[in-house]
Amino acid sequence: MTENTTTEIVPTVSVTIDGVALQVPKGTLAIRAAEMIGVEIPRFCDHPLLEPVAACRACLIEVEGMPKPQPACAQVVGEGMTIRTQQSSEVAKDAQEGVMEFLLINHPLDCPVCDKGGECPLQNQAMSAGRGESRFEGEKRTFDKPINVSAQILLDRERCVSCARCTRFADQIAGDPMIELLERGAQQQVGTASDEPFDSYFSGNTVQICPVGALTSAAYRFRSRPFDLVSVPTTCEHCASGCSLRTDYRRGVVTRRLAWDSPEVNEEWNCDKGRFAFAYLAEGRITTPLVREDGELRPASWPEAIDVAARGLAAAGSRTGVLTGGRLTQEDAYGYAKFARAVLGTDSIDFRARATSPEETQFLRAAVAGAPIGVTYTALEQAPFVLLVGFEPEDESPIVFLRLRKARTRVVSVGAVATRGLDKMGGELLAALPGQEAAALRDLPADIRAALEQPGAVILAGERIAASAGAPSAVSTLAASTGAALAWVPRRAGERGALDAGALAGLLPGGRPLIDAQARAQVAAIWGIDTAALPGLPGLSGDDLLTSASRVGLSALLVAGVDPVDLPDPALALRAVDTAAFVVALDHHHSAVTERADVVLPVALVTEKSGTFLDWEGRPRPFGQVFKDALTMSDATVLGMIASAIGTSAGAWDVNGIRRELTALGPWQGARAVVPGVQPQAAAGAGFRLASWRELLDAGVLQEGEPFLAATARPSAAIVSAAAAARLGSPATVTVTGPAGSVTLPLEVGAVLDDVVFVPMHSSECSIYRDLGARIGTAVDVTAGGAA
Amino acid sequence: MTISDQTLERMRELASRYPQPRSALLPMLHLVQSVDGEVTTDGINACAEVLGISPAEVTGVSTFYTMYKRKPVGEHHIGVCVNTLCGLLGGDAVYDALSERLGVGHNEPTADGKFSLERIECQAACTHAPVMTVDWEFIDDVTPAAAVDVVDRLERGEQVLSTRGPAIRTFQATEHTLAFPDDGLAGEGTSVDDKMLAGLRYAKEHNMSAPAHGQEA
Repeated sequence: MTENTTTEIVPTVSVTIDGVALQVPKGTLAIRAAEMIGVEIPRFCDHPLLEPVAACRACLIEVEGMPKPQPACAQVVGEGMTIRTQQSSEVAKDAQEGVMEFLLINHPLDCPVCDKGGECPLQNQAMSAGRGESRFEGEKRTFDKPINVSAQILLDRERCVSCARCTRFADQIAGDPMIELLERGAQQQVGTASDEPFDSYFSGNTVQICPVGALTSAAYRFRSRPFDLVSVPTTCEHCASGCSLRTDYRRGVVTRRLAWDSPEVNEEWNCDKGRFAFAYLAEGRITTPLVREDGELRPASWPEAIDVAARGLAAAGSRTGVLTGGRLTQEDAYGYAKFARAVLGTDSIDFRARATSPEETQFLRAAVAGAPIGVTYTALEQAPFVLLVGFEPEDESPIVFLRLRKARTRVVSVGAVATRGLDKMGGELLAALPGQEAAALRDLPADIRAALEQPGAVILAGERIAASAGAPSAVSTLAASTGAALAWVPRRAGERGALDAGALAGLLPGGRPLIDAQARAQVAAIWGIDTAALPGLPGLSGDDLLTSASRVGLSALLVAGVDPVDLPDPALALRAVDTAAFVVALDHHHSAVTERADVVLPVALVTEKSGTFLDWEGRPRPFGQVFKDALTMSDATVLGMIASAIGTSAGAWDVNGIRRELTALGPWQGARAVVPGVQPQAAAGAGFRLASWRELLDAGVLQEGEPFLAATARPSAAIVSAAAAARLGSPATVTVTGPAGSVTLPLEVGAVLDDVVFVPMHSSECSIYRDLGARIGTAVDVTAGGAA
Repeated sequence: MTISDQTLERMRELASRYPQPRSALLPMLHLVQSVDGEVTTDGINACAEVLGISPAEVTGVSTFYTMYKRKPVGEHHIGVCVNTLCGLLGGDAVYDALSERLGVGHNEPTADGKFSLERIECQAACTHAPVMTVDWEFIDDVTPAAAVDVVDRLERGEQVLSTRGPAIRTFQATEHTLAFPDDGLAGEGTSVDDKMLAGLRYAKEHNMSAPAHGQEA
């Protein structure tokens, strides 16, 4: 991907602001031009990422030749313009103070009980740009307070200054115009339609950009004062978008999280999951190591638990399987990659707690692991065409969604559902039955192929290509034959980092093939071990690892943060855990795995350690430790303790040491595995095909304990086409039956292919793997009404 | 009440009259009122669906303009202008008389649903101040007694003509004409009479004209 970084000659105009002459790029707004010389003009409605609206009138300035003061936020600087702000113009100062006085007429003086107090632009600018005293002696307008514009977002209407930041955000950025300015005059207020709440995945941003305390979140309302909070820049752990966040805490408890500025990645936005889903941090922690004795887990000391774990794992050695889940930092994933190879001598390791395929494994080894940053958010914004395969950005990587929407790029999604998200991106659907994407890619219409041949065109492949036979091969082939850039967008935050750290069978850190002599030598040297001590052949991964464990009984399993319900065959996973002679679980919360483990070792949460997530671009998103006095240890640190108990040190296990090793190793420069060449497979069985993915807000364990957020999730439904619904007799509910069971869900008509039914993968009402025993593309029965 | 397929069809017809379908929202909301007697939630959702915009956006428009009612109005909706000129020339007294006669206040319907009353803003008929409207048709130069008489006659089921011609029908009937001004009823009567043109005539006779931009009057 070549980025357009050549020096472009930007036309400029000359302007004089407060007597200072300067050149600004043509099209610059007066409010921005003034910022360039350090003059801050008061503003509420102005936001650099929203279209100008000049709604609040707080930024009035004097422009020579214009009869009245002009709003600086909407006034484009013209050649030779002379502007006077409040710094040099009594007219501007007077106008600004007048507007401020008007804005405050109906604004309550409830700053002492308002959540915004202390970080409030209105409070601040009333001080800096307003009169000390109000001349208003009438009765202020009041409203019932607050009203719920959604379960999560609350509105105190009397505080609103009608700046329309929230409504413009909802319309322009999120594409969810479910809030609007209603009524008029003094009654003007933000509100929703009477039967459609503001259930946008991005609704929390409106709270953050509200320049007064009108919008608050149910989660944070009345929880703390901003000046009592300690703020730490962090990275979101919920998906591979890689958002910069600001985590605010007080007395050892996270009180809120905000989107933080990262122009290259999330700009100034984030999604509601990233903002609100952090209650899990405080609840239900595993507090002490646990060791199984007489069939029961009992608390144990660290030395005892480490000792038991070390003996059990050493005994199993290369007959150990390692499952790391997709949520670890790159450093922790690297710890597992190293521990497996250098300490246990096993290569049976996988970071994917989801549907996988050997084809995907080969694709990741060949095309993704250790690859330098290729496609970026900026590249998406500049791309003339983006093809989505097995990927629903709004649910699976919301910031990718926002960026594609912003760019108004031509988007085509290969799939079975023309989703609301696709509609909001102005995208088109290229029909492919679930699991049959490869055939659609093989038979691509000529215009789409031509679009992919344009310079800068991008193919975005989601994690669900793994569930579609031939899709990883097809996207690789298509990228090669059209010249389009290919990027893999996993869903979980830790997947890309784990892949690059070598937490996948056959791969050493940096994308190094396990079987390459030079790669082995490089890694062995850094780890300070003999090359021969590394496993010689690629181990097991994906389903093979679990099947093998379950069938032949791998002697031991080392599991980090894996919930069996995320795996396509939860029963198989549990059987594997049950049959393994020895199971060590590193986790911060209990799961079906920790319940069955022989040793449970509690590890640090993201707030208790520093680390790095690689976002889908491959961009490192390092973050610092929020709670510096936390006594918990990261996964890698704990693994280091087990390693030394076993008697192998193998280099560093602390975060800084691991970062040094990763830097020293760097990405692999040698030959890579070849991309897979799996052919599309025809669908088997008759009936409805199951389309499914993880919706952004669902029954994920990291969303636990946040009921307001959960209440804004999309209601679970079985979605079919209008024709299919008519065939079923348009019942209110349908029962979807898979190989292992059935669920009854409300029927919804959507833009779904005929003979396809969409069911959320893991909502609170239905989990397709657990409840249906069905995978993406499985033929399922759909019948009217409840279960027979 | 729900919006029928026929109403949806008429909404689509309105939407097709404009280069930007969204421009049809105002007549569509009048159509909703002609069918439901108010802007119902069903009506809002139907407009949103036909125009491809959100129900919140339709709600924003329907609450901005006072001619759109989010609560039921009477079979006849009576407006009395209470802006400065009408108010001073008797509009306030007319309003009070009607309020007493009907037993309702601003934007309230009578218990039998026959009438509702509203203080309205300038109707651009100051020549005939004070004015009242019945189902948006003008009653010019109205007095408290004349206003009450109009109500009495409507209550008795008599036909009442607006001062400038058109027969008073019902709120919903007028709303239909507002949605479809090409229904042949919009031009009934005279909208401009001799008295209203007196000023213009005088100005023309005396060669009076507005000062050019920037000039002192």
